[in-house]
Amino acid sequence: MSEDPKKSTSIVEDFKVPWYGYVALIFAIIFFSGVFAKEKSWITVLDFNTINGTYGVMKDAAKATFMGQGGTGARDGFLFALGLIPAVMLALGVVEVVDHLGGLKAGQKLLTPVLRPLLGIPGIAGLALVTSMQSTDAGAGMTRMLRETNFVTEKEKTIFCAFQFSAGGTITNYLSSGAALFSFMTVPIIAPLVVIFAMKIFGANVMRMYLKRVKED
Amino acid sequence: MEKKTLADVFVDGARKGWNVGVSSILPNVLMAFALIQILKVTGLLVLLGKLFGPVMAIFGLPGEAITVLMGSWLSMGGGVGVAASLYTAKLLTGSHLSILIPAIFLMGSQVQYMGRLLGTAAVQTRYYPMLFAISIVNALIAMLIMRFIA
Repeated sequence: MSEDPKKSTSIVEDFKVPWYGYVALIFAIIFFSGVFAKEKSWITVLDFNTINGTYGVMKDAAKATFMGQGGTGARDGFLFALGLIPAVMLALGVVEVVDHLGGLKAGQKLLTPVLRPLLGIPGIAGLALVTSMQSTDAGAGMTRMLRETNFVTEKEKTIFCAFQFSAGGTITNYLSSGAALFSFMTVPIIAPLVVIFAMKIFGANVMRMYLKRVKED
Repeated sequence: MEKKTLADVFVDGARKGWNVGVSSILPNVLMAFALIQILKVTGLLVLLGKLFGPVMAIFGLPGEAITVLMGSWLSMGGGVGVAASLYTAKLLTGSHLSILIPAIFLMGSQVQYMGRLLGTAAVQTRYYPMLFAISIVNALIAMLIMRFIA
């Protein structure tokens, strides 16, 4: 494109529409028009009401919850998600209390001496590690600080990031998003969490061994 | 500074839970249910199920479970939503969910965390492929372990 010194300021702005803009518009018209509502085949994917779906019904009143049974699409998803929220509120409420009482600090204290043998990173990274359990972003910021202040080497930082990258924000995510599935699981709530921690440590050690073969620069 | 009672602290946490629920879980789950509906109506879900059936069988899962892993990689909430949707559609059982749960998190939200974690912590980009590979291998091993517990 060439520079135009007299850049147009007129109200009839000349703008470009990408080709997919027109495709999107055509899609939107078809999607909301309901023209395919009566079809039976895969073409109904282009019908708003098909994707919006249906609420479940009380087929078996003794077993159905408020979301009913046999629902589909967005409507079914909405009621399902609504049913998840109490578990998330309860879980995060309890985590907040545990944190308030110093439970996480206790965890940090216990972790500090084992970080070197377990992950090959210095004990000073304990706070960042505990923080990364609650928030990926806060953990990432603290990890950056640890490196900038030279408390960890470049290699140690990379190992630490391998630990954080898999199942980031572990506790918060597991107890919020994961809580959604707790009531359907066939194992105790703690079991998947133990496996997650074991694999995080495993993964960090894979990185630790990999970095032994790489020159520090 | 006024001292908070434990009840206040709990309520603060529960409020966080409400915010997570309304601003993250609800939209993510709704998106996942809509996506599964699209895959169902188009017949792609059956196709994916057949295509990935043999691979997912290694982990004791039906082929459709691949959609949970794909969803997870984009966002953990999305993965959970897809899993929930397949569960309510009776395509996944409780033990299938148990096998999938650690994997949803171990390889979850990686597309986002590339910027939010690796970018923020200034990890050298030459390690990115290794970091992604480690997370995915973590998830695969976790599914094998869970297969024998669930």
